[in-house]
Amino acid sequence: MNELVNTPLFGILLTLVAFEIGVLVSKKWKLAILNPILIANVLIVGFLLTTGISLESYNIGGNYISVLLSPATVVLAVPLYRQISKLKQFWKPILAGIAIGSLTSIACVIFFSKLFGLGRTLMLSLLPKSITIPMGSVVSEQIGGIPSVTIIAITVTGITGAVAAPVVCRFCRIKNRVAQGIAIGTASHALGTTKAMEMGEVQGAMSSLSIGLAGLFTAIVAPIIVTWF
Amino acid sequence: MRIPSQLAIIFAICLAGEFLHRIVGVPLPGNIIGMVLLLILLCLKVLKPEQISGVSGFFLNHLALFFLPPSIAIMAVGDDILAKWPLLLVLCITFTLVTIAAGGLTTQFLIRLQEKREGTARNNGGKE
Repeated sequence: MNELVNTPLFGILLTLVAFEIGVLVSKKWKLAILNPILIANVLIVGFLLTTGISLESYNIGGNYISVLLSPATVVLAVPLYRQISKLKQFWKPILAGIAIGSLTSIACVIFFSKLFGLGRTLMLSLLPKSITIPMGSVVSEQIGGIPSVTIIAITVTGITGAVAAPVVCRFCRIKNRVAQGIAIGTASHALGTTKAMEMGEVQGAMSSLSIGLAGLFTAIVAPIIVTWF
Repeated sequence: MRIPSQLAIIFAICLAGEFLHRIVGVPLPGNIIGMVLLLILLCLKVLKPEQISGVSGFFLNHLALFFLPPSIAIMAVGDDILAKWPLLLVLCITFTLVTIAAGGLTTQFLIRLQEKREGTARNNGGKE
């Protein structure tokens, strides 16, 4: 049995089946909390824990899908290109929104880490939690955090953004489609962007634009800010 | 363009991004550099969006799938972190909501301000 589990086919099949169940469930019951990733994540983790199959075995196949994260990130340039006229028109509000959003996330992490005494390592691990996984894990490592914790925090953040973004936008009366996309992409990277794309192409493009810019901003600013605390 | 050609283009861009990151030392992850490279190619009209629409459509329509395997690393957290997990969860959720609100309200406020200004300028011009 181990021989089968340790082929890439196992992790790939488990990922695809769990993902399709997740998409099916979220389409059938249109509840925001029933996010495809959330469902698929619980299914896979539950399956692995129940069967006692290790994360390493899963990753033999899972890594094949993770590799495609790279081309999937690259093609985000396509919706971005289609919205480039909007970008030109509102470049000041967009850049300001991304900067304020990113700084808010960083300030929250520093303030509450100090308040709850989480310790420096955990604070540094949480610091890049709003930016995309490949960038965030690198930033975390650079400033002295634990990349695996960062990846989990980023995932939770992304799921939160994907689940709660429309509610926050409604509650705060953020009605402008550009502002919605900027808010979602800045706060919750590509996971949130999946929701932004469901909301509309403008939101999706602005959100994917913010992934890169918020990531870039955080990657530059975070190592400087941490030297102050 | 045939799908294998489209894939070759996208993967070549990915590899170029990795080259700029790992060899040249651009302090950004390779895939983000790749995104910028593709954007430049599109802006310069070297590539048209329709020429890669088969591959870009596939990736964009199923974006979440490619983030699923890394999210399974949630299994591998240590016990000391696990003990703080409820607090971390609440903090992560709260920070995200605050960040969405801050980013969105800032952007919306500034866009409306700009639109108001431009609207006023246009009206004062009296040409339209």
